[in-house]
Amino acid sequence: MTRRQRYNLAVMKLAWMLALTLAARLPAQDVFGSTIWPVIERDCLGCHNTKLKMSNLSLASGAEALAGGKRGSTIVPGDAAKSRLIEALRQTGSLRMPPGRVLPEVEIAAFERWIREGAKWPESQVAKSAPKPNHWSFLAPKRPAEPAVKNAAWPRNAIDRFILARLEKEGIAPSAQASRHTLARRLYLDLTGLPPTPGQLREFLADQRHDAYPRLVEKLLASPHFGERWGRLWLDQARYADSDGGSRDEPRQLWKYRDWVIDALNRDQPFDRFVVEQLAGDMLPDATPAQLTATGFHRNSPIQIEAGTDREQYRVEAVVDRVDLTGTVFLGLSAGCARCHDHKYDPISNREYYQLLAIFNSTDDWSEARPRYDARLHNLHDVQGPLLRFGTPEQLKQWDETYQRMLSLQKGKENEKEFARLKASLPQFPTTMIMRELPEPRETYIMQGGDYLRKGDRVEPAVPAFLHAATGKMDRLAFAKWLVDPANPLLARVTVNRIWQQYFGRGIVETENDFGTQGTPPTHPELLDWLATEFVRSGWSQKAIHRLIAGSAVYRQASEVRRDLDERDPRNLLLARQTRLRLDAELVRDASLVASGLLTETIGGPSVFPPQPDGAMSASQIRKEWTESKGPDRYRRGMYTFFWRVTPHPALIVFDSPNSMVGCTRRNRSNTPLQALTLLNDAAFFEMAEALARRLEREEPADAAKRLERAFEICLSRPPKPYEVDKLRELLAAEPDTGWNSAARVLLNLDEFITRE
Amino acid sequence: MTIEDRIELYRTRRFFFRDCGVGLGRIALGSLLAQTAPSAPRNPMAARQPHFPAKAKSVIYLFMAGGPSQLDMFDYKPALKKYDGQKPPESLMKGKKFAFMERMANQKMMASPWQFSQHGQSGSWVSELLPAIGGVADDIAIVTTMKTENFNHAPAKVFAHTGSIVPGRPSIGAWIAYGLGSESESLPGFVSLQSGPRGPRNGPLIWGSGFLPSAYQGVPFLPGSEPIFNLKSQPGVTPERQERALAALRALNEKRYEETGDDEIATRIAAYETAFRMQTSGPELMHLEGESKATLEMYGAEPGKNSFANNCLLARRLVERGVRCVQVYHTDWDHHSNIVNNLKRVTREVDKPSAALVRDLKQRGLLDQTLVVWGGEFGRTPISDGEPGTPNIGRNHHIDAYATWLAGGGIKGGRTVGLTDDIGFNPVEDRVHVHDLHATILHQLGMDHTKLTFRFQGRDFRLTDVAGNVVRKLIA
Repeated sequence: MTRRQRYNLAVMKLAWMLALTLAARLPAQDVFGSTIWPVIERDCLGCHNTKLKMSNLSLASGAEALAGGKRGSTIVPGDAAKSRLIEALRQTGSLRMPPGRVLPEVEIAAFERWIREGAKWPESQVAKSAPKPNHWSFLAPKRPAEPAVKNAAWPRNAIDRFILARLEKEGIAPSAQASRHTLARRLYLDLTGLPPTPGQLREFLADQRHDAYPRLVEKLLASPHFGERWGRLWLDQARYADSDGGSRDEPRQLWKYRDWVIDALNRDQPFDRFVVEQLAGDMLPDATPAQLTATGFHRNSPIQIEAGTDREQYRVEAVVDRVDLTGTVFLGLSAGCARCHDHKYDPISNREYYQLLAIFNSTDDWSEARPRYDARLHNLHDVQGPLLRFGTPEQLKQWDETYQRMLSLQKGKENEKEFARLKASLPQFPTTMIMRELPEPRETYIMQGGDYLRKGDRVEPAVPAFLHAATGKMDRLAFAKWLVDPANPLLARVTVNRIWQQYFGRGIVETENDFGTQGTPPTHPELLDWLATEFVRSGWSQKAIHRLIAGSAVYRQASEVRRDLDERDPRNLLLARQTRLRLDAELVRDASLVASGLLTETIGGPSVFPPQPDGAMSASQIRKEWTESKGPDRYRRGMYTFFWRVTPHPALIVFDSPNSMVGCTRRNRSNTPLQALTLLNDAAFFEMAEALARRLEREEPADAAKRLERAFEICLSRPPKPYEVDKLRELLAAEPDTGWNSAARVLLNLDEFITRE
Repeated sequence: MTIEDRIELYRTRRFFFRDCGVGLGRIALGSLLAQTAPSAPRNPMAARQPHFPAKAKSVIYLFMAGGPSQLDMFDYKPALKKYDGQKPPESLMKGKKFAFMERMANQKMMASPWQFSQHGQSGSWVSELLPAIGGVADDIAIVTTMKTENFNHAPAKVFAHTGSIVPGRPSIGAWIAYGLGSESESLPGFVSLQSGPRGPRNGPLIWGSGFLPSAYQGVPFLPGSEPIFNLKSQPGVTPERQERALAALRALNEKRYEETGDDEIATRIAAYETAFRMQTSGPELMHLEGESKATLEMYGAEPGKNSFANNCLLARRLVERGVRCVQVYHTDWDHHSNIVNNLKRVTREVDKPSAALVRDLKQRGLLDQTLVVWGGEFGRTPISDGEPGTPNIGRNHHIDAYATWLAGGGIKGGRTVGLTDDIGFNPVEDRVHVHDLHATILHQLGMDHTKLTFRFQGRDFRLTDVAGNVVRKLIA
């Protein structure tokens, strides 16, 4: 026996003795009524009730409990050791209940004793209703009172009181406020994604009014770049891209949807409307073009179709993609786990998964009228499904007629030329992919094992029983309205948490896409609930939440690492300081563009083609052109770079931009040599460094010291320190012939330059 | 400790990735402040210990994209001669789905036009198309009963690399790099090489890192002296200038590190040093001229050319330098028609270099620690495709029994695993699913495929999904 085994045995013995002692202390009578039933009601019935019957097990009555579930018997009267229930409660094997917790020893011991004594279950003891599962995020948030704090001078709003109360409990003082230089750069980057220009910086530094800071917050919330910065993060979740994915990776037009998102955030469209229009704008009465455009959200699904494939399989995959993403984005739940079997940890049954799927299963994805795939027509609406077309009536008429003539041409060499001629003559106008409901809903069946060919029972659209109830006929629109019902315990929490994580690098719930029983608990549960209720109370105003967070004292702290907290809070969970965060991929480019003075500030429009390394398109099956944009379009913000899903721009991917094949609710922040090579040698970044050098020579032609100051103001929003001046002077002296080129490259490669401090 | 020491420590220290969701499930159970593992700065590619002692340190996966015909190369079916030209029995086709279903109605059984013979001490059957591979028969283990899930190229290829038909999951190479890091400090840990007329379908998605951090994605090497994007300095930036700029950069970053205490800066300083080393080691790697004439001839490699032969030689050079995983693609195996000419042509391109790789690794003592895998996303049917009765005949996609071979890295050479029926349509013994192959590859690298997980969207994902068994018969 190894030492470990001996140790384990000793622990087991001890636990056993303890259990016996504890059990002996219980009154002999009615252990069922005093302990067993209350625990079942509290911790089991949420999932194992007559209606939901997770893993085919119900504990609503004695008869059902004894019948067992999918894994066989649950209770063997008289034999606790053989009862799966005890195995689950003791968590000795793979089955662990209740999810994410262990019952107190005294309760487990009571269960053991009850089973040993015959597991008597009074016939009268039957669950009258199916209670909600007992998990914090499934219960509606209640607005907590703001806690009292000792240091009453520190808090600037309610957020701070929640954070400070916790810090005071731990005896930790918050960090000092960051310098005004740092605060300006931080705010500009967080709210607009662009560092401040020297003019903008000086304006803030010169503003001596007591409310200069909140004024800056207001100014930036009103900036049209706010919608770009925060819109891009929404587009991560929407898996927005400019091509289909799949082996052909044909281009598509959805940039009108991208622009709709930017606009919706800029005008602070109430979040409930924002959700409803994206999920079901097409089903609203008299849907406007903007509302139709919004439904591009779920048309962002990749299209996998190619010759020889079974269309139905990929239509189903697209619907599955939408259901799973809906669960992740709006509920913070891994609904996709229930595709093949009942969810192992959260109360979503396999049947309920397909009831959800039924809600999304009646859209017209590609023309039902054309059963055969025809690669010649791939880019046209035949495969891409319903489109909203922004052409004149004449253009639309001409397009339709030409398309009909193309369809009438037989496939084959003899018609190739004519086909190409017609295709080239199609009038050009923007389009955008939209949702459209079929006139008659599709029938939906459970797919056994998740396999679309193995049909199980037929199901009707419905929402999961453990959440708030829905009324009336269930379809996509009813579902969207159900999602934004203030009774929904998840939507507001999940949304404010995602906003929060952008400001601090981590959500109040770290597992931002899993609020279920396997997720991490919130670090500040009351703060989360306060923010969630505040979000709804404000009329679902996202800007209201931004204003609160950006205005808080927590947010304004310095980000220097606190060595005094190395042991006690090394991950900064308590937020006794801010955090340095590397800029997102697009912002690395944007910051360089601002510094170089090259940035084109145009918002929206078709995606563009900035320079990229030769060979970036060589890996795809069908070679795509990458014709570099000329003129102002060469210098657009990173979020407008044309995104080929199969061959994305290398400078985006290398800095962790999402691949857009699945939705992304939190980006990774890696730190790699390929990033270094990109910033050092990539032609686009090199061009920006040279432009910065020319700009500095132009703006401060004579005075070397002033030029250095200017350089730091432009790149880092602060004056240089003496050693920095010395270092750069050394470099400039070593290379008298190349002007400021090297110095500019060094500045644009600094860790500080690509970091929000 | 000086800043110098700390940076050196971060560059070389063996530690696990702490901050990207790994093990969050466990953290959830603990109390909040118990999560106080000091946040180590992370070099995501630092080499790490496997779950148990490994047989292989590196993997080279020679991927034959398009569906190589196992019935014409590895799965010898003399009985097919008897049925040649007959209609396939209805029982065979019932309930099956094929690609290009509509063409299957008029097709006939098709025997292999090539001769098979037994090779080596072990007597493994290999056809005359692959004389060189036949020559290393005692070093390779052939599986004839591979099984995959989808009969179309794109999804099957995604499945072969990621264990899922839906693109977007991490590829096997990314999982391996995530699990083990890399032994190389001047080259990426996971490299993909391609030759042939076009990129494989789905391109970078099949060597992508999916939801794993992008540090683990395969880096495609381009032919020529600049294999990695942005490896070359811009014109006018001499090595001296580059070095001078980097020295200044380092000095300023170090100061910032002192001021902020943020270990990410240390990682970044180390990353810039690696990048600078890559600028030298990349071109040096691609410089095949330094190889002996005998070696070049053995592979059929010609310096400066983009060929499968060159890539096999590069693969050896990469694993020699500590790179963890190399994918080598050859992309022209989809022989629906004119299989007689087409298969002859492609086997001529890959036979010699594939065998040379095994021989070369062996003679350098590297085969023991390098696992070589050879195969495609599926195989081909014993039933014809194309236009029966004309030379324009080939075979359709087949997913129920196809061939893959493995060598080195603790694989028992000189054996054939799996038995198919008379006509090579269905497995009779030892079916090996793609998940099983993946589990086996990870096992040889010292990793338990059920424990190599990453938490994403609330679930612990793994390469083998919820399946996979290590194929014990393949292991020495």
